[in-house]
Amino acid sequence: MWIEIAHFATIAALLVALTQIAAPLVGITLGRPVWIRVGRQAAFTSAALLTLACAGLILSFLKHDFSVAYVADHASLDLPIFYLATAMWGGHEGSLLLWAWFLSLFIAFAAWRHWRTHPLSIPYVLAILGTVLAGFLLLVIFLSSPFERMLPPPPDGRDLNPLLQDPGMVFHPPFLYMGYVGFGIPYAFAMAALLTGRVEEEWILATRRWTLFSWAMLTTGIVFGAYWAYYELGWGGYWAWDPVENASFMPWLTATAFLHSVMVQERRQLFKTWNLFLITTTFALSLLGTFLVRSGVLSSVHAFANDPGRGVYILVFMAVLLLFSFGLLVAKADSLKVEARLESPLSRESAFLFNNLFLLVATATVLLGTLYPLAIETLTEAKVSVGSPYYNKVFIPIMLGLLLLMGVGPVIPWRRVDRTRLLRALLVPTLAGIGATALALGMGIAHPYGVATAALIGFVAVSHGRDFIAALRARTGRSGDSILLAPFRLIGRNKRRYGGFVVHVGILVMAAGFIGSGLFQEEQDLLMKVGDSTTLGRWRLTFTGIGQVSRHNWDAVEASFVVEGPGGQLLLKPQKRQYHRNDMPTTEAAIHSTWREDLYIVLGDRVDDRWAIRCYRNPLIVWIWWGAGLMALGVVVSLGQGRGLKRRDS
Amino acid sequence: MKSTWKIALLATVMGILTLFYLGLGVDTRYIPSPLLDKPAFPFSAEGLDGKGPVVLEAKPGKWVLVNFWGSWCVSCVAEHPYLMELARKTRDRSDFAMIGVDFRDTREGGLRFLSRHGDPGYRHAFDPEQRIAIDWGVYGAPESFLVDPQGTIRLKRAGPLYPGWFEQEAMPLIQGMPP
Repeated sequence: MWIEIAHFATIAALLVALTQIAAPLVGITLGRPVWIRVGRQAAFTSAALLTLACAGLILSFLKHDFSVAYVADHASLDLPIFYLATAMWGGHEGSLLLWAWFLSLFIAFAAWRHWRTHPLSIPYVLAILGTVLAGFLLLVIFLSSPFERMLPPPPDGRDLNPLLQDPGMVFHPPFLYMGYVGFGIPYAFAMAALLTGRVEEEWILATRRWTLFSWAMLTTGIVFGAYWAYYELGWGGYWAWDPVENASFMPWLTATAFLHSVMVQERRQLFKTWNLFLITTTFALSLLGTFLVRSGVLSSVHAFANDPGRGVYILVFMAVLLLFSFGLLVAKADSLKVEARLESPLSRESAFLFNNLFLLVATATVLLGTLYPLAIETLTEAKVSVGSPYYNKVFIPIMLGLLLLMGVGPVIPWRRVDRTRLLRALLVPTLAGIGATALALGMGIAHPYGVATAALIGFVAVSHGRDFIAALRARTGRSGDSILLAPFRLIGRNKRRYGGFVVHVGILVMAAGFIGSGLFQEEQDLLMKVGDSTTLGRWRLTFTGIGQVSRHNWDAVEASFVVEGPGGQLLLKPQKRQYHRNDMPTTEAAIHSTWREDLYIVLGDRVDDRWAIRCYRNPLIVWIWWGAGLMALGVVVSLGQGRGLKRRDS
Repeated sequence: MKSTWKIALLATVMGILTLFYLGLGVDTRYIPSPLLDKPAFPFSAEGLDGKGPVVLEAKPGKWVLVNFWGSWCVSCVAEHPYLMELARKTRDRSDFAMIGVDFRDTREGGLRFLSRHGDPGYRHAFDPEQRIAIDWGVYGAPESFLVDPQGTIRLKRAGPLYPGWFEQEAMPLIQGMPP
């Protein structure tokens, strides 16, 4: 019953979305605002209908309605309730519905929030986002419907893929999708700005919070994915440059470029076309990400659906959207008047320009690495794979360049700066960089990338710290705030700037994590009998026993390790799990995390009376998760700032 | 925006879309074997039936299909009817023979598989420790190799053979190189 309600609600939402495209456009053509109002009501209605549809699908899961094919494929009677409710996005069909639902909610929110403030843009925004929504709903209804019945119903379902029964994987898709979908709003405003010819700064100011929010969601989503890969897949790493990981990373890179370059347009009215290009590209890459995952065009662990029919549809949909967007941009670009020019290569705007160039080159690098195997295979029938050696070679130097710019950016003023003043401002950070280099060499870091990263971390940290302290001094001197309160008041005064600082610090923490885990991972591959011991770094591991454990939907072989380390003794228990309804065993790594390093043990196959054991020492890996937390915190601080920062240089 | 940039932008977009369009038809699961057009590892292994060794060696005028399978493999069950049919159809051909390799298996398991799903009539090598399978670079089951009279691997298919495989893929090769 519920599934039919969900199905009809989705069909109704499609019809309403079509109204949402047509009505505002009619309203503009006829000059009748009442039609635009119809479009607005349509946005609210489709959000309500899709909420009902999602609720219906989730209820079908909770009621174990195995006559619904999608439920039977992704749940079973003994699936825990938490995974039962979230299995809705455990497969292709449901996750597309989730995508559409987020989009409809965001459209409704935008229609409510920007209705009064942006009367000229809103009809176009509604029509454009309505088109995207309708495109996704057509896909959900006709090509990958989660609402199909399967009669007679099986007595039990096939269960959720065991790898997805993990908290990291429960949160990864929704966050990622909120990021992808969220960029749709600034994109639609950008298109509206082009269509109305009002390509001043207004669309950027209007969507600043949307952009920040989406960027934070995308960042969190990507990190959840990495966290899941680390904890659940049992190969000791967190990022493999898999095509679909790249697909989520590319919009992140262009969005990061966009976040920075909009500041230049706000302050100096530069980069107008460039910003339009960046946001269009970001949203296009978000769609591309969906296409890559959902069409099976690239083989990858993520390509669940290998269905060319679907692929053709998504491709046509994407072609229409891309050609419209970039075509509009190209057609209207000449009407953008650029009054200002870069005054000097030594200025903050040119630092942002370089930041953007680096990020774009990084995006191109990833895009090339992702598409190259497909191109070679399509054109020549040979097989190639592009893996981490390529990315490490090309990507890391670019990221180091970005770190350098990150240190320079905040201390260099707008418009122009005198060379000696700039050098003086950078003197102390440079000394800190040299100090960090010496420290890194002293700690035995020999790899050039490791040394360079350490140096840059010192440089950036001190350049940010000095800037903050100088501002703090000025403030305490002027207002007489107490030393304890002053930092918070200062941050509160300019949340946007200092939120950005916090994000930057998060990136530094992460960079330390990347270097630690990337360059200093130690791995051992052993065959061990009960009673055997091995030494890994500061840890001494003794294999003390092997046993069986069971939970309601799996059985496992569990090994026990007594680990003696600096903090005393601990017991670690890696498992090899066999879920009842799945043939493939999964590994549950046993992980002991400290701020210095993770100890990571994986139980493998049995070979006669011995067991294959892999253990890793992963230095500084928790710094990656902490860094991500800081980045999220920074965005929250930054989001606190309204639009009141538009100061003109006198 | 300069017109060169405009053209470059639109060309890039079109290029990527075209690539995806072409890429949609590509079977991403197809992986060519590095053993293709290399001499096959000859083997002489104990037969699954226990009646003396099963031997693969180059014989003038004879093409051999080597099929790796195991009783533990679900896709092998799906493939089996076609193997039965192919063996029946080609029984009288002098230029074509078939050999099975039952690997990573127990003898009882392999024999039970044949009695349950039918015995196609050709002989099977028994390879419990995967010696042959490792030499041949087999990473899944079923996998099939077509070896020409000179002992060179000419075709490899990972996954089940499909009805019509012999006519579509093997015959052109066999006829293109008369015995």
